[in-house]
Amino acid sequence: MIQIKNLHKSFGDFEVLKGVDLHVKQGEVVVILGPSGSGKSTVLRCINKLEEPTSGTIIVDGYDIMDHRTDINHVRTEATMVFQQFNLFPHMSVLENVTLGPIKVRGMSRNEANKLGLDLLGKVGLEEKAHNYPEQLSGGQKQRVAIARSLALRPKVILFDEPTSALDPELVGEVLEVMKRLAREGMTMVVVTHEMGFAKDVADRVIFIDEGRIQEEAEPETFFSNPRHPRLRDFLSKVVEH
Amino acid sequence: MAFDFEPSVMIDSIPTLLVGAKMTIIITVGGLFFGFLLGAIAGLMKLSRNMFVRRIAGVYVETIRGTPMLVQAMFLYFGLPMAIGIRIPAVVAGIVIIAVNSGAYIAEIVRGAVQSINVGQMEAGRTIGLTRGQTMRYIIWPQAFKRMIPPLGNQFIISLKDTSLLMIIGVGELLRTGDEIVAVNFRAFEVYLTVGIMYLCMTMSIAKALGMLEKRLHLKSQR
Repeated sequence: MIQIKNLHKSFGDFEVLKGVDLHVKQGEVVVILGPSGSGKSTVLRCINKLEEPTSGTIIVDGYDIMDHRTDINHVRTEATMVFQQFNLFPHMSVLENVTLGPIKVRGMSRNEANKLGLDLLGKVGLEEKAHNYPEQLSGGQKQRVAIARSLALRPKVILFDEPTSALDPELVGEVLEVMKRLAREGMTMVVVTHEMGFAKDVADRVIFIDEGRIQEEAEPETFFSNPRHPRLRDFLSKVVEH
Repeated sequence: MAFDFEPSVMIDSIPTLLVGAKMTIIITVGGLFFGFLLGAIAGLMKLSRNMFVRRIAGVYVETIRGTPMLVQAMFLYFGLPMAIGIRIPAVVAGIVIIAVNSGAYIAEIVRGAVQSINVGQMEAGRTIGLTRGQTMRYIIWPQAFKRMIPPLGNQFIISLKDTSLLMIIGVGELLRTGDEIVAVNFRAFEVYLTVGIMYLCMTMSIAKALGMLEKRLHLKSQR
């Protein structure tokens, strides 16, 4: 589904990613951990080219996104992103947020899109909020709408960029619950997060990024019980303390 | 000589002044209509990724903002005909001057409002597969437009008052009409007072109308 080879990314003189290789298979849930500033979000943002990679190859769903002939708008509909700050459209109702993509990008009729939208809002437990506006929702509800907005495009993979980091602690659970359900249904997901519990329960593979490189990559069991890399051991001990 | 206030002069001058006020409104509405178009285009050009396009808009804004409107009006109406041999009607010249002038300021209003929208909105639009243009149209512009309203109201009021400068090229707008009445009856106090009140009525109407528009747009987003 996603093949990344030797990905480099620099911001000016500062090299954030120093050669990242990552393969994600269909139906797989890959969780990316790492200290802040390690480049984990940058990897995610390169996958759908919100960030222009400096060099390397990235193939998403068979499309080479470094090739200028590739229709990047199409690739993004197959690999949509859920943001830390939700980024809902404040001037549109919840339902309009969800149906905009299907109508404008997939060419769906409004009726069809509304049906799909209500269906997806039901799936994230927010059908009754369809006609509210984003500012009337809690953070957890906003993020669930954002997930529904991504799902509305029927993407092949969803990229989650710290989806619960901006939420009050008591609202984290409802969002993780929705994500777990998606994982069980076979959605391919790449998740940057600090939620160790989610990584342990849901991930097929956990990746530790530090200083612009993948330092460790393992199944959750091995990853957490038997971390090899000293930086990871250090990282885990700090996180677990909290 | 004791000054002797004559309210009846004010009443008597109203019908003639209304003709001038009508001209003021025509030029203001026409000028601002094209001024907004011009400003929106120039403002978006200033946000272009193409440096050449940004430069063109920049030269336009700097030139217009950096020279007095009176000079622009006299150049267009008296200067240009000497070079090209055609004099455009004063009303048309008036509308062009107001449009070009307000457009330069509106360009900055548009640019500022669009830039004030969180980059996350553009990213969210792009991540659901919208093109840059579509994201601008459906997501950025509607939000930016709401933020433009207060500064636009300011600019509309300034432009309306600026139409009085057009008396210099012989446009029969409100101030010039008042001037012509004074030339006949020498009642400068009453006539210019009436003229001032009429300008105030018009500017207050603009403020009121935009206030209502703002309220309506605001309500729409938080039913």
